[in-house]
Amino acid sequence: METPETRRGGASSADNSTAATDNSAATDNTAAADNSAATDTAAADTTADNSAASSDDPVANLIAATTDTVKLTIWASEEDQTLTTQLLEDFKAAYPDVTFDITLGSESESTAKDTILTDVEAAADVFAFADDQINELVQAGALQPVAATYTYDVAGANVAGSVEAATVNGTLYAYPMTADNGYFMFYDASVFSEEDVKSLDKMVEVAEAAGKKIAMDVSNGWYIYAFFQGAGYELTLNDDGSNNCTWNAAGATDVAQAIMDLYGTNVMVDMSDEEMATAIAEGTVAAAVNGTWRAETASDAWGENYAATKLPTFNVAGKDCQMSSYSGYKLIGVNPYSANIGWSMLLAEFLTNEASQTARFEARGLGPANVAAASSDAVQADPAIAALAAQAAYATPQRVGGNFWAPAETLGQILADGSAGSDLQSVLDTAVEGIMAPIE
Amino acid sequence: MKNKKKFSGNYFKEFGTAVAKGDIGVKLSLLVMGAGYIARKQIINGLIMIALEAVFIITCVFYAAPNLAKFGTLGTVQFEQVFDPLTMTSKVNDYDNSFLILLNSIISLFIIVAFILIYIGNIKAVYRLQVQKEAGKHINTFREDIRAMFNEKFHITLLSLPCIGIILMNIIPILVLIAVAFTNYDQQHMPPSALFTWVGWKNFKQLFTNSTTLTFGYSFGKILIWTLEWAVLSTLTTFIGGILMAQFINNKKTKLPKMWRTLFMVAIAVPQFVTLLLVRNFFADSGIVNTICSNIGLTDFLKSIGLVGANLTYIPFLTNPTWAKVMIVIINIWVGVPYQMLIATGVLMNIPVDQLESARIDGANSFQIFWKITMPYVLFITGPSLITDFVRNINNFNVIYLLTQDVYVTSDQLLANSNAKEVDLLVTWLFRLTNEYYNYKIASVIGIIVFIICAGFTLITFTQTIKGSREEDFR
Amino acid sequence: MKKTVGFVVRHLVLTLLVVIWLVPILWLLVTSFSAYKGINTAHFFPEQWSLDNYKVLFLQPDSVVQYGAWFKNTLLIAIFTCIVSTSFVLMVSYAMSCLRFKGRKGLMSFGIILNMFPGVLSMIAVYFVMKSLGLTNSHLGMIIVYSAGSGLGYLITKGFMDTISTSLREAAWLEGASEATIFFKIIIPLSQPIIVYTIINSFLVPWGDFVLAKLMLNSGIATDWTIAIGLFNMLGKSLINKYFSIFCAGGVIVSIPISALFVLMQKFYVEGVTGGSVKG
Repeated sequence: METPETRRGGASSADNSTAATDNSAATDNTAAADNSAATDTAAADTTADNSAASSDDPVANLIAATTDTVKLTIWASEEDQTLTTQLLEDFKAAYPDVTFDITLGSESESTAKDTILTDVEAAADVFAFADDQINELVQAGALQPVAATYTYDVAGANVAGSVEAATVNGTLYAYPMTADNGYFMFYDASVFSEEDVKSLDKMVEVAEAAGKKIAMDVSNGWYIYAFFQGAGYELTLNDDGSNNCTWNAAGATDVAQAIMDLYGTNVMVDMSDEEMATAIAEGTVAAAVNGTWRAETASDAWGENYAATKLPTFNVAGKDCQMSSYSGYKLIGVNPYSANIGWSMLLAEFLTNEASQTARFEARGLGPANVAAASSDAVQADPAIAALAAQAAYATPQRVGGNFWAPAETLGQILADGSAGSDLQSVLDTAVEGIMAPIE
Repeated sequence: MKNKKKFSGNYFKEFGTAVAKGDIGVKLSLLVMGAGYIARKQIINGLIMIALEAVFIITCVFYAAPNLAKFGTLGTVQFEQVFDPLTMTSKVNDYDNSFLILLNSIISLFIIVAFILIYIGNIKAVYRLQVQKEAGKHINTFREDIRAMFNEKFHITLLSLPCIGIILMNIIPILVLIAVAFTNYDQQHMPPSALFTWVGWKNFKQLFTNSTTLTFGYSFGKILIWTLEWAVLSTLTTFIGGILMAQFINNKKTKLPKMWRTLFMVAIAVPQFVTLLLVRNFFADSGIVNTICSNIGLTDFLKSIGLVGANLTYIPFLTNPTWAKVMIVIINIWVGVPYQMLIATGVLMNIPVDQLESARIDGANSFQIFWKITMPYVLFITGPSLITDFVRNINNFNVIYLLTQDVYVTSDQLLANSNAKEVDLLVTWLFRLTNEYYNYKIASVIGIIVFIICAGFTLITFTQTIKGSREEDFR
Repeated sequence: MKKTVGFVVRHLVLTLLVVIWLVPILWLLVTSFSAYKGINTAHFFPEQWSLDNYKVLFLQPDSVVQYGAWFKNTLLIAIFTCIVSTSFVLMVSYAMSCLRFKGRKGLMSFGIILNMFPGVLSMIAVYFVMKSLGLTNSHLGMIIVYSAGSGLGYLITKGFMDTISTSLREAAWLEGASEATIFFKIIIPLSQPIIVYTIINSFLVPWGDFVLAKLMLNSGIATDWTIAIGLFNMLGKSLINKYFSIFCAGGVIVSIPISALFVLMQKFYVEGVTGGSVKG
């Protein structure tokens, strides 16, 4: 529960009250579009050796084979409940010949893994989760591979990064739902100019003069990665689930020193996600490294001056380095222990198709992973999503084993509060030792 | 120990005699359990026994045997599934679930042991009937047997249901987890998709050795020390605080004692998890208390005397190791003292007045009276419950978890490398290991150690209460 | 003069202590009336007052807040847990205190030691035991989980029963009463304070437990939850900034039945706990 993956709370806080009105418009065409799509792509996607079946259309086969009520459970985040309820109705309407009994439960995308891994068999048939959990879920056998698609081409319709995030060892394991779970920089344009936000050191100067703070949760592996990766030090995942990490290589102490210097100014502050929300609302923080889920807080607080951009550069021993980031996606997975695998897969496809992703953006402002949905003018005009797109060039998908989080969290903590001491090399050595601890 | 041997010796000897000297009814009972009863015309008893035996045999064949057969390996067939994209269904093989094999085997063993006990008891009982019959004594009818269950055998009636509950909810889970300590059940080996198996003492060795990459031993030492410190501190502070407060309020010079007492009780009327979560936000780094402290200049003052790091703009109430430990103890006082006050009030009300009076006549001041008479009396009365509290505090999950979870980041890298924190108790550490890292094997080892420590403390204090004849003294 | 100073100082100290003890509770209360949904870190008192939070609790349940359902679930579980636990504790205590049978002391020691095992650890095994009985995600299952092992908590009650004079039981014996009659007619009425103590304690368990409840009620369906899970959930990462003041309102409401219970039973509670702890 305290691991950094979940710390960032990969869920946004959108206003549910707008959902109802937006949906009805968006979903009318969903149902229509989907029925026709169902038959189109099915033949194309299933493999050639399907001649043995009674019909070439697996969906029609499934409908014919389904006589009882189809019982499904689905987990979506608390904020997604209204929208998902609506989409479920549309799903039922898309298959009028089948009786469904679909139960919608709430489980945050950021904690889905914790609940699922405790007892995979008791988990929902279809569930939403953040892409950082995919390795552990696959390892625990909690994801049904997307062996075939029926209503639309999952791999082709979504942006490449999201498909990569849903793929483990060459197998596609999940359906991309949103492409907005990474982080970037929010700022108050009345404090910083567009020129200022290109360099973190400049921002610190400006903020100091204005008496404001810049917030970034560096005591969190997810965010501290931005510095080390940006400066060219590596963190990769081995096949056995352990990590490979060069954060203690020659010159890495300069990165650590840079973090210490930034936070030593007391202008950069190390704040958790929830604290940041309050601090932005109260006006003490004028710039924050965070994700789309804070867009509402920031735009409420700063009004017209609300702006977002890619992460700035930071100074490592006299050299400017562009901060990196983790790209983040929310995915929908199907439980292999589901009693209705076929319907679960169709439901997962339905919840992630273009129309649903558009509806999700309209209702909650979540950036679509679907290429067509993401290219709409409305999506392009959203500052947070634009910033995320700008950051995409420097972002990497999250491929990291469980042993990374606790040591990285502590590394960030002691660098930020200045208790790391002067022997930074041994601090980094200890951290890397923990990060690279073998899995047995 | 000696007693036990003698006891078990007798136990089997009686059984031997019963078998040797039993008549045909008794001997037939070895095969068909109800036979002995039916021979004595206790038809209902006999039928119950036959039914019991039948149920047992069915359970053995269909439940116990298949599970126990796999107990040695904990399963060999891994989960496999083939998805057919055309019919959109998947075929799953007949896979083994190591955890369920372990659980069911332990339940089976329980059933078998219970059956053997009943079996032996049954033979003895029917032999007793035979002896009674031969002596020409009255043999109970079924109705009389039932009546006995409410009289001389009342303890069986009273204890059977609670015992079943305890076996189901306590003993079986504990046995399962003791077993897990000897397996490699962790995130790499999680049923149902993967199998785990026996590894012997490996996990214990891992906990007590420090290698360069595994710091469990280091963390265990640190956390154990803090756990004990915490248990002592929290028990003593709330205990003494409660007595002092009760004494203060009960003093004749205090007006409206009932009102004051009720005001303090308000604090415990709110459920603990609500108050703790609330207080955590109350003392957060950018919380309301910090705002007030910085407004009145307390933060700067603490900074100037070095209690708050120069880098910080807030008081790290729950985020710095030392601050957090002190705050946790203080918050625990806040939570615990009203309870203790309530108890102490009751004790103080019963204090023998004559002793107090005579002390006063002798010229002792109220301070002396408190330390010489009140305290010893209170200690005498509540001594045993003090130990219960101590053990409870070793396992005080709620206070630590609710105050520090998600908030506290350790600054000790070695602790971080084994997912521990300075403020963790052994129980919160093992909770994190199971709940977030699925490291059941190490968590089980820690659990066993916590158990041994607590059991040790308890045994020392309670053996006297149980063994001694004190029970009768006070009547 | 000296006396009045002492009097004033004494009551000032008490007032100060009460303030310390009640400030967080006051914060809970005032925040529950705040119009701002998140954590107000700048001001102690809300800037705008409102009754909205209570309205959300009872009149406008949304996907996060199902307070009415939670309250009902918790109350139901608490009542049955209370009945079963109290009966179990009394049964075991009476057997251990008043009856003499083979293996009694062994059972007692065994029970005490068993109670030492950290429940947090065996939780996962409890879960799978309940799952194999098909009792997860059911309130009956919760009642069983909370009450089945309660017999182990016999110690204080047994201590209390130990103080009841044996002569009463002997007299009843002579009149031909059975053990069951003695249990129901003599011991139970005399144990009133400790029964109240047991009732309060077992009644409070479901209101305060979230770890076990969260594990057992894992379907994600909010209407099945107990109050503790629901309130705990509101303080999750993504919800706290929208639900903190509602959490406070929920906290205030839960305390009402519990305070009522405490106030009503205060006298018995004190007698029970002190009577029992005489023997530990």
